[in-house]
Amino acid sequence: MGFSHAVGVVGVLMLAHAAYATIQYRSLLKITEEQFMGPPITVVVELVAGLFFCLWAALTVPGKFLLILPQSDENRVVALPFNLDFMIFNHRGKAFSLGIDMKIK
Amino acid sequence: MVSKTEEDQLIRLENQVENGGGGAWEYLCLVRKLKLRLSDKVFKYGFALLSDPKKRSALGPEEWTLYEQVAIAAMDCQHLDVAKEYIKVLQGKFRESKRVGRLEAILLEAKGRWAEAEKAYSSLLEDNQFDQVIHKRRVAMAKAQGNLSGAIEWLNKYLEIFMADHDAWRELAEIYVSLQMYKQAAFCYEELLLSHPTIPLYHLSYADVLYTLGGVENLHAAKKYYAATIDLTGGKNNRALFGICLCASALAQLTRGRNKDDKENSELQSLSAEALEKAYKQQSPTNVSVLSSALRSLKVSS
Repeated sequence: MGFSHAVGVVGVLMLAHAAYATIQYRSLLKITEEQFMGPPITVVVELVAGLFFCLWAALTVPGKFLLILPQSDENRVVALPFNLDFMIFNHRGKAFSLGIDMKIK
Repeated sequence: MVSKTEEDQLIRLENQVENGGGGAWEYLCLVRKLKLRLSDKVFKYGFALLSDPKKRSALGPEEWTLYEQVAIAAMDCQHLDVAKEYIKVLQGKFRESKRVGRLEAILLEAKGRWAEAEKAYSSLLEDNQFDQVIHKRRVAMAKAQGNLSGAIEWLNKYLEIFMADHDAWRELAEIYVSLQMYKQAAFCYEELLLSHPTIPLYHLSYADVLYTLGGVENLHAAKKYYAATIDLTGGKNNRALFGICLCASALAQLTRGRNKDDKENSELQSLSAEALEKAYKQQSPTNVSVLSSALRSLKVSS
């Protein structure tokens, strides 16, 4: 758990660092008056690595994912709830007797 | 709707309480949440919990809901004296409470004193004309006395005011089916399907009623709803698969002279027969021969 969190934090930091490096590179280009073609290749590599770290952390930190299919083995409807508002007490259960000790303390 | 995980949880808790581990309170909460009618278990565990003053005080303010739940379970198990004691305790705590008044009236119902219960309900209704539960109890009382047509009348009046109550529509549909008034039952199931189109069991019941009504149009519609059930349950509902086979063979019998839609009919039937055989091989291999002979006789007669 702690490891996934750490990886997530590292990924976010890498993305922030890549953004800062790109801004610095642009300001450097402004000094030398060149066109901004794209960030340098190291920054792109850092971006991709940060992306993967963040993705991995996002998938492992929450723990077990729940199934979304309604007919999957866990989610399928087994029974409808009983209509308790319409329950009647005039049934054959009167003939049975539960042998429970019924002294109320 | 009780899903499989909830059912597993319930069984696990039940086994745990049965074998002496704790967890009775969690079990009772789960039963209350899922709205199940397990009155003997609820009464047994609830009574044990409430008779022990230590455990009772550990519950805090929740003990009153437990009193109510166990009182109703006691009435269902016909232990009316226990129910009376609990209602007296609740009355002592909550005087002039509508909920406790309702419980008292339900106790009168359980004792069989219909006229007194009717009077109690009418007086409770005078205070609040739109109390849904009291209206529904009146329907239940008519049903308990065997007066199903009276129950239908009350329920229809109730549904004119509260049209969105799907439990009441379900109850009305079941009463109509028990009286064999299938056209009216089909109407009730249509209302249910409108409000809850994703529950496969409603589609299944509607298809059953349509199949029972018979006639070419109804059989076509029944086939569509069986197919919808199969779609919603991912093909695992054997009853819907059987329904398709039966509908197809009944349709083939009725339209024996004309030759339209023959291919689509037989293709659906053979597909569902295949799915049934696969399911039976997996779940009960001893009955596969019975199934194949039954399916063959359906195809032969068509």
